[in-house]
Amino acid sequence: MSTADDSRYNDHDDRVGGQKVRNRKGRGPFRAPMYSDQGPRPRHRGSQRGGGGPGPRARFDDEDGDVAMADSNSQDGSSQHRFNPYGRPNRRGDDRFDRGRRGGGGGGHRGRGNNKGGDGGGGGRKNWFKMSVPYGKKYDKDWLITALQNICSMPFTPVHYHVEGNRAEFFIDDSTTANALFKVSRKITDKEGYKVTVLMNPCPPPSFLQSELKPADLEHLKQCMAKRFDGSQQALDLNNIRIDPDLVSQNIDVTLNRKNSMRAVIKIIEENIPELVCLNLSNNKLFRLDDLSELVNKVPNLKTLNLSHNELKTERELDRIKGLKLVELWLERNPLCDYFKDQASYISEVRERFPRLLKLDGQDLPPPIVFDVEVTPAALPPCKPSYFCSEEIKTPIVGFLQQYYSVYDSGDRQPLLDAYHDGATFSLSMPFTMQNPSRCSLGDYHKDSRNLKKLKDPTTRFRLLKHTRLNVVAFLSELPKTQHDTASLIVDVNTFTNTLLSFTVTGVFKEVEGKSRDSVRAFCRVFVTVPAGGTSLCIVNDELFVRNATTEEIRRAFVAPAPTPSSSPVPTLSAPQQEMLSAFSLKSGMNLEWSQKCLQDNEWDFNRAGQVFTDLKAHGKIPDVAFIK
Amino acid sequence: MGSLAEFCPFCNTADFRTHVDASCRYSEEFTNIYYDCMDKKRRNLMRLYLDKATLVWNGNAVSGQAALGDFFESLPSSEFSIQTLDCQPVHEQATQGQTTLLVVTAGQVKFDGQKQRYFNQNFLLTAQASPTSDQPVWKIASDCFRFQDWSS
Repeated sequence: MSTADDSRYNDHDDRVGGQKVRNRKGRGPFRAPMYSDQGPRPRHRGSQRGGGGPGPRARFDDEDGDVAMADSNSQDGSSQHRFNPYGRPNRRGDDRFDRGRRGGGGGGHRGRGNNKGGDGGGGGRKNWFKMSVPYGKKYDKDWLITALQNICSMPFTPVHYHVEGNRAEFFIDDSTTANALFKVSRKITDKEGYKVTVLMNPCPPPSFLQSELKPADLEHLKQCMAKRFDGSQQALDLNNIRIDPDLVSQNIDVTLNRKNSMRAVIKIIEENIPELVCLNLSNNKLFRLDDLSELVNKVPNLKTLNLSHNELKTERELDRIKGLKLVELWLERNPLCDYFKDQASYISEVRERFPRLLKLDGQDLPPPIVFDVEVTPAALPPCKPSYFCSEEIKTPIVGFLQQYYSVYDSGDRQPLLDAYHDGATFSLSMPFTMQNPSRCSLGDYHKDSRNLKKLKDPTTRFRLLKHTRLNVVAFLSELPKTQHDTASLIVDVNTFTNTLLSFTVTGVFKEVEGKSRDSVRAFCRVFVTVPAGGTSLCIVNDELFVRNATTEEIRRAFVAPAPTPSSSPVPTLSAPQQEMLSAFSLKSGMNLEWSQKCLQDNEWDFNRAGQVFTDLKAHGKIPDVAFIK
Repeated sequence: MGSLAEFCPFCNTADFRTHVDASCRYSEEFTNIYYDCMDKKRRNLMRLYLDKATLVWNGNAVSGQAALGDFFESLPSSEFSIQTLDCQPVHEQATQGQTTLLVVTAGQVKFDGQKQRYFNQNFLLTAQASPTSDQPVWKIASDCFRFQDWSS
């Protein structure tokens, strides 16, 4: 369909959709599209927009996203892939294209904020449309879809069919199909005699597609990252991680320009190698650094960062990570490098964000002259275990806790009535989570969690405070059954007077039945007590904070045998077990009782038990009493 | 903050519910002030404490305003983020009528030079007559702070 005019435009206007704008004869981008004069259009490179809708800014945004995602979802055929960023030569040939985009991209840069839901064009080269059927709420979904399919010229799969207000809505991921559906609007008459209208609107890829990585996948990712980690250099190489065979073979999609992938990676770094010094993120099609900003707090020792061979278009992206005290940075082969008129201004802009930088793109920079205001931050005081204040206070508290938890873990919490004052109060809190409570493993506690930061309604706030010992104990009885690791409890005595003794207990417990059986939780519980005759204590205030235990806490939990005798019968050991026990006791130096516990906790795996023992011993976690024969 | 009379259940007919409502509001206000002070006006922090207040900080006990002042100066600068807050009025029997609140917080803190860490903290606040004002003021009688990962 090219005319002489068109070819001239072809020469000078590389903007995507440039030709289309002309065909629409001066219609502005924001004017409501006239659907009736649309038809299926031939697909050209870049995004095919079905309507005027969002306008040029979003178009550039999507283009950014699309370009970045060019290699993903290649199921729709490589004919659509007009460029291959990996191994592509100098991008300067595309200068004109870039400049054209950058002109609009200046606005697009701001507009990007609006399109964040798109997040890099999660659907790859798919173009998403939201199809809506006004008053479609009243239709049976199967009836409607079947009726549409019967007269629609193309087969379609409705994605995420749902009702919104009076409308029925679903998503379609390509324009030809969407147009075909649109064409059957008002061609079906429903049982009441009304014509079924179908509207279509282009939209960014639906957010529910941005699924998080599953725990099994996260584990694989962690292993994959472990292989790419060099401990001697504290360096992690995530160059082109998407095509790592370990991930590909497991069908795990880690695309770092997507928020969820980057977040997962940073979380793994934070939890396992937070002292990381060098990080290589080259060849990951990164087009923005928003998701990297977490590095500033979570990986504060990072000194070398490689962002080369990515899609960063402006040096302003560096603002997101300028808290890092980088000494070495690689930025070459990013579009932004082409926009500096000389090397000096490039260096200057980069150094503005990283004043301590000594090497850029492999080249030494003259060392900066600094001001000697930076003081080494003070060290924190060392952390210590329980603070009991004095032996006189310790004894009643220890006695109290032993008794309290032995009842609490016994399966019947009613006897706790004796521990509480008539006017006692209790409340429960949890860490704030964005997760859906039904998906959260602490779901049992969620509905009673009293977090005043999130809960504002005074009636609910009042209801969640349990008042009077009957109510308190009734509530406690409904909480999951537990087994506390009483040997590892830490106690801090807050304050004491003649009439008040307040202390904070931290530790871990296991749930012993139900769907969360064997889940290990960590808790922090404040008791405010009054003396109750002799050395007894009576609880007037009780506040319990529960969270999931960390891996480290789980590893260390339940090593010591419980001080109170368990109600289950002591299992008799088989001959091989007896032998293993003597050998273990000999090797570890622990007495038989502790050796047996260690072996039992590690399922009579001698080597594993030995490893656990060695680790704990190295950390000074095994009490002396374990070695007394 | 309102007058002591309106708050103390001894002095008037304020029922338990009103007591609880007021506690929630006070605890929110307190947490804002405390952590803002901790992060931005560290030198003033000790003024929030009673003279005989005790702080147990990761098992280290600090007592008295002077020691508290030194202790807070010795800590690097901080950035606190409170994610959980709960509070309860403390029963009169424990306080002999002195209006007291238990405030419990949890969240994350980044001390300069350290990575971000989770923490749990709780306070006992007590209402005191003030020499400089008609209205009573809240003072921290005790403060207990621990990192979630204190042992690592």
